[in-house]
Amino acid sequence: MTVQEPIAAPSSKWSLSGLLLRGSTQFGLLVILVVMWVVLSSIAPGFLSRFNLNSLGRSVAIDIVIGFAQMVVLATGGMNLAVGAIGICSVMAFGYLLQVLGLPIPVAIAATLLMGAAMGWLNGIAIVRTGVNSFVVTLASASLFSGAMLILTRAVPYNALPPAIGEFGKAAVGPVPALLIVAVAIGIALYVLFRHTVLGRELLAVGASERAAQMSGVPVGRTITIAHVLSGMLAAAAAMMLTARLAAAMPSVAGDDWLLPSFLAPVIGGTALAGGAVSVIGTVLGALLVSTIRSGLLILQVGNFWLPLFLGAFLLAAILLERYRALLVQRHRTRNA
Amino acid sequence: MNELFSRVIRVQWSGLLAVCILAVLALTIVSPNFLSEYNAFVFLRSLCVSLLVAYSQMVMLGVGQMNLSIGALGGLVAVIVGGLMDAWGVPTLPAIAIALAAGGVAGLVNGWLTVRTGINGFIVTLATGSAFAGINLGITKAIPFYNLPADFVAFGNGRLGPIPNLLIVPLIVSVLLVVFFSRTVTGRHMLAVGGNSHAAELSGLSPNKAIIEAHALSGLLAAAAGILAVAQLGSAQPSIGADWLIISFAAPIIGGASLAGGSISITGTLLAVVLIGLIQNAMVLLQVDPYWVTFLLGALILAAVWLNRYRAVRVGED
Repeated sequence: MTVQEPIAAPSSKWSLSGLLLRGSTQFGLLVILVVMWVVLSSIAPGFLSRFNLNSLGRSVAIDIVIGFAQMVVLATGGMNLAVGAIGICSVMAFGYLLQVLGLPIPVAIAATLLMGAAMGWLNGIAIVRTGVNSFVVTLASASLFSGAMLILTRAVPYNALPPAIGEFGKAAVGPVPALLIVAVAIGIALYVLFRHTVLGRELLAVGASERAAQMSGVPVGRTITIAHVLSGMLAAAAAMMLTARLAAAMPSVAGDDWLLPSFLAPVIGGTALAGGAVSVIGTVLGALLVSTIRSGLLILQVGNFWLPLFLGAFLLAAILLERYRALLVQRHRTRNA
Repeated sequence: MNELFSRVIRVQWSGLLAVCILAVLALTIVSPNFLSEYNAFVFLRSLCVSLLVAYSQMVMLGVGQMNLSIGALGGLVAVIVGGLMDAWGVPTLPAIAIALAAGGVAGLVNGWLTVRTGINGFIVTLATGSAFAGINLGITKAIPFYNLPADFVAFGNGRLGPIPNLLIVPLIVSVLLVVFFSRTVTGRHMLAVGGNSHAAELSGLSPNKAIIEAHALSGLLAAAAGILAVAQLGSAQPSIGADWLIISFAAPIIGGASLAGGSISITGTLLAVVLIGLIQNAMVLLQVDPYWVTFLLGALILAAVWLNRYRAVRVGED
């Protein structure tokens, strides 16, 4: 769902530019994905094996939620560089609550979500109160959060979690991994939030124009804080999904590695960096693209070392294409005017 | 007294200098080892790479942009210089020249992409940074180059009393940057564009040109940092630069650079790097958990940003 003005159908119905004009970013992504899947499964039959699809599904589920954590802040025109730091703090908190305190799983989940929300709240409050750019505040708070976590835990992993955690990470309903179901459920909730609730519209209004939103009576400060609280909760959710997938709470697997994926999925999926437009479906497709590239490189035995190059190139290609499309749309409008 | 106070807080880096002096005094009292020749050498050597990294980001902040690819670029250049000398047997000076040029070209690519696409420099350099890191890892498979020329490694380890040879490079760069930003047309144009891009354009300057030049300069500085890191370590590690992101922003921001652009302080950045180095050194001397550095760095950035705002309000009131 992209909040965009409808584009008038161009006169040249079947030209490439016509397709570019009419098709949404998400449609384009879907085409790229389908092509990649066809190519990959024809070169490497192992790609469509049940084992590979299952591992792909489990990793994409986490990438999706990491992308959501960034997306909700991008919607308001800010960014959250602390997604990874909140992630590792949540991983370790979850491990601590389960293994050391021995809390029941639902209580531990609720407490971890609450902690993620609290860290997001701190970010939001600091941004709104000081009026400083969200980039700097979250860069600093990322350092604060991960530093505090490392001091407290000394980066020692929690390996003796209740078996139910690992079992959930492996569980599947039919061919669909349970983790993917969680990610999709979160996606549906966010879709409803942005499309059908006042809060969702306020988040987008603030992102589109803070001044206009303020004048229309939207509580801008509160809305930005809520976006960061949501982002913190989503990062915590992704962290717990990662813990379930690995069946252990390790600080080294999260953190800095989340920075790129958190931006890749929403930005490739058509969420504007300037704010005011989000695409839940696009973020899901963007995460799927990232995981497909990763899995494809693995299956083709290119090696994980080249992965960052491909991810960077895809991100650049995606933004260039989007830019070109915007230009085409503009030119088309001017011609028709 | 009040007048003196307001005059002192007008000098951006006055507080920072006071904090640095206090930290040195405190460390001298608490740990006798602090002023030992070897510790002074270790401390000064730890500043060299950080200074260049900080300058690399400071230039971008000056023009009102940011560069997230500094670490990846530095790592790539480190591997290039190592590979040239180890695998290809290129002599030291030509290898350094080629590596510096590669950094400049990578910076130009960053600048060209930012200007041409009109997309936020944040996302462009996030993408190119990932690409640089991928090229680095793809070429090296994460295996370092160890066989470097003896003269190169000797330079990296050499010292004159407590003063490391390496320190010459950032000191020369500091002076050049001061001259560049205060005396040259290009430097002034960059700051003008950073201060108010629209006004600069109306005055006949080209913001695009300034942004591309800033990116090229940033790339050169990051490349110099990468080469220095190789000389310091004695081997070209592909992991060089992986942890530069925080320090690259922390030092210029603590030093008083405005994120909105147009205002940077070379002395402030230098003092901030010294302060961060002092903190790291103190953690080692006092045998405190090194993780505290990460924590304190975050706290310092927040405090600096907050102080800058406070000062801006004070100065604005006068």
